[in-house]
Amino acid sequence: MSETTPDISPAPLVDDDIGFVRRIWRGRIWYGTEWYITVAGGLILLSITLMTIMAPVLAPHDPNDFVGAPFTPPGGGPQALVARSGESPVASANEITDELIGVQRNQNGVNLAKEMELERERYQNQDELIAGLQNEEVDLVFIDQNLVPEVLEANPNFDVVNENLGRIYRLGTDNLGRDITSRIIWGARTILGVALASALLSSLIGIPLGLISGFVGGKVDRTLSLIMDSIYSFPGLLLAIALAAMLGPGLINVAVAISVIYIPTFFRVVRGQVLSIKESLYVDAARSLGAKSPNILRRYIFPNVIPSVTVVFSFNIADAIITAAGLAFIGLGLPPDIPDWGYDLSKGHSFLVAGQWWMITFPGIMITLVAAGFSLFGEGLSEILNPRLVK
Amino acid sequence: MNNSHLSEANILYNIKDLVVEYHTRGVVVTAVDHVNLKIQRGEVLGLVGESGCGKSTLGKALMRMIEPPGDIVGGELWLDQTELMGLPEREMREWRGSKISMIFQDPMTSLNPVQRIDEHIVETIKVHEPETKKSTALERAQALFERLGIQKRRLNDYPHQLSGGMRQRTMVSLGLSLNADLIIADEATTSLDVIVEAKLVDQLEEIRKEFGVTILLITHNIALIAQIADRIAVMYAGRIIEIGSVHDVFLDPLHPYTQGLLQSVPNIKFDEREELYKMPGEPPSLSNPPPGCRFHPRCPKVMPICLKIKPQLLENTPGRQVHCWLYQNHPEKHQSTTEVAV
Repeated sequence: MSETTPDISPAPLVDDDIGFVRRIWRGRIWYGTEWYITVAGGLILLSITLMTIMAPVLAPHDPNDFVGAPFTPPGGGPQALVARSGESPVASANEITDELIGVQRNQNGVNLAKEMELERERYQNQDELIAGLQNEEVDLVFIDQNLVPEVLEANPNFDVVNENLGRIYRLGTDNLGRDITSRIIWGARTILGVALASALLSSLIGIPLGLISGFVGGKVDRTLSLIMDSIYSFPGLLLAIALAAMLGPGLINVAVAISVIYIPTFFRVVRGQVLSIKESLYVDAARSLGAKSPNILRRYIFPNVIPSVTVVFSFNIADAIITAAGLAFIGLGLPPDIPDWGYDLSKGHSFLVAGQWWMITFPGIMITLVAAGFSLFGEGLSEILNPRLVK
Repeated sequence: MNNSHLSEANILYNIKDLVVEYHTRGVVVTAVDHVNLKIQRGEVLGLVGESGCGKSTLGKALMRMIEPPGDIVGGELWLDQTELMGLPEREMREWRGSKISMIFQDPMTSLNPVQRIDEHIVETIKVHEPETKKSTALERAQALFERLGIQKRRLNDYPHQLSGGMRQRTMVSLGLSLNADLIIADEATTSLDVIVEAKLVDQLEEIRKEFGVTILLITHNIALIAQIADRIAVMYAGRIIEIGSVHDVFLDPLHPYTQGLLQSVPNIKFDEREELYKMPGEPPSLSNPPPGCRFHPRCPKVMPICLKIKPQLLENTPGRQVHCWLYQNHPEKHQSTTEVAV
């Protein structure tokens, strides 16, 4: 009968059917100027994640093994085989069989000789070691690689037979001779595990409670809000300390202790969002078309809450990392056999005054880096996911 | 539409004595005050009034969608032979969408931003007919969209990718997807520009002829009513003050408010009446309305009785009801200014 009114909207000038990658590439223009923040955060997170996954391959040593001498500085470790000029019984380190080797106590030479299964004469300090070689008590000694020029200058009659023997500790070793590089790499696993587990746990509890509280309203809302606000009013670390002390050490326990303090964050964000989305026209429209309440909550409200939750999640991980490190620092963290940056921090800080700066510096840098990575990424996400910026 | 068809059998929706109140901080606001209204099957009924007179509340009340702090305090809502107020919420939900549906004021925000267009329609269909297959639902959605002149490829888009007119047509197709008998269009065209508005009105007209739906058009756009509506109901401060066919009311408005309202509409022929009519005073506060006739503080033809006693909404001529003492008798009404016709 009547003619259909023709569609007057013109064809779109920009093709909407572009691929996902190009959409993201264009997104850098749409989503404001801060796209590089996201990229920086993303790169940090990517490398940390890779490190976590590849830990067994990347780590040179078992993080709990006393592989080296205590307090080896970063880059230390390699040994030089030194003999009196022209008197070396061997041409290279490979030929050593039953010669007596002079080593210095608490130095990497001891470990090297032990590994090469050599007979060794142990000296208390460097002066005694050099005197031993000078006095022909031993024919060969292991000396730290970076001490060689100094020693040769003082004793011109010495010769270097071999250099670069044994391992190098790029980031040094700690007070027990454990390799810091390995501890850092394995520690990433621990800290990411704890942070992710606690953030997941708190979001799993906080989001549904926030949804229900905001949507149902009334007495339920008031009760839940009261409980959450009272948790929120505690200083976070203090509550985590109390809970961790109560639950005892262990990976799960620490994650639980940390998650409790972040439940209110999720709850409050979600509840606030639900309160405003609930009033929006499309929820009314859904209701006018006969949608059920659970359906409205699931299909209309929850998907619109996700962007803010994602951002909170990302920030929370950054926060949880710092809290986890804080717990470990005061000795309420994980059992000592799990490599943990926070634990290394707490052990390392007492040696800082003695000049062994590397034990506290590297875990500290890593904690800062990871926390910053999540914060930057969260910042970028909040830009990208902000519906007002998507047009 | 001929007024003689106003028989009981032809009435789709019968509103009897509806009262809706909002309770806020101890103040009771009566947004809809004892409204009686009959909507005939197949007609377009325009509901006009100033902002805040209770039009939208009335529209929502028809679907029983008043949320706290609001409440339907009294009255009966008869849709066909069913009294909606007595239905449990679960059954009422079944009725929403399938018998009555609503098109909202702002097309920009009345669609879920995270759902694709086709998901909206498929979900609506599946809510009411769970046994429908997704493909069948999709086909129905496509047919509807074609009917409303939206390209098929647009079905995959998110709401923010559509223009305002397209979104509003999407809302219309949502309302139509279940063959609802009554569509309540709450300011459905207010935020659209005139060209898109004209098109949507055109389509509403086509749809109504094709599907035989009844449309309650809530608006303050008088010209729109004149164009599309069969009958017009004028609302003032929570009460219906005049009902009649569009032709009659526009030609000869009875209530002083209707007269003022129609004179306030801009007209191209300005030479006829120099300046646009401006109604004196402000719309009354609904929390503390004036006694008697609520229009009396602004009425140019106010009588002593208007200040004391509320008039009835009585039939003046067949099919024409008016809520004004000018056309009614009362023992206390000492003098009549015009001839009383009952």
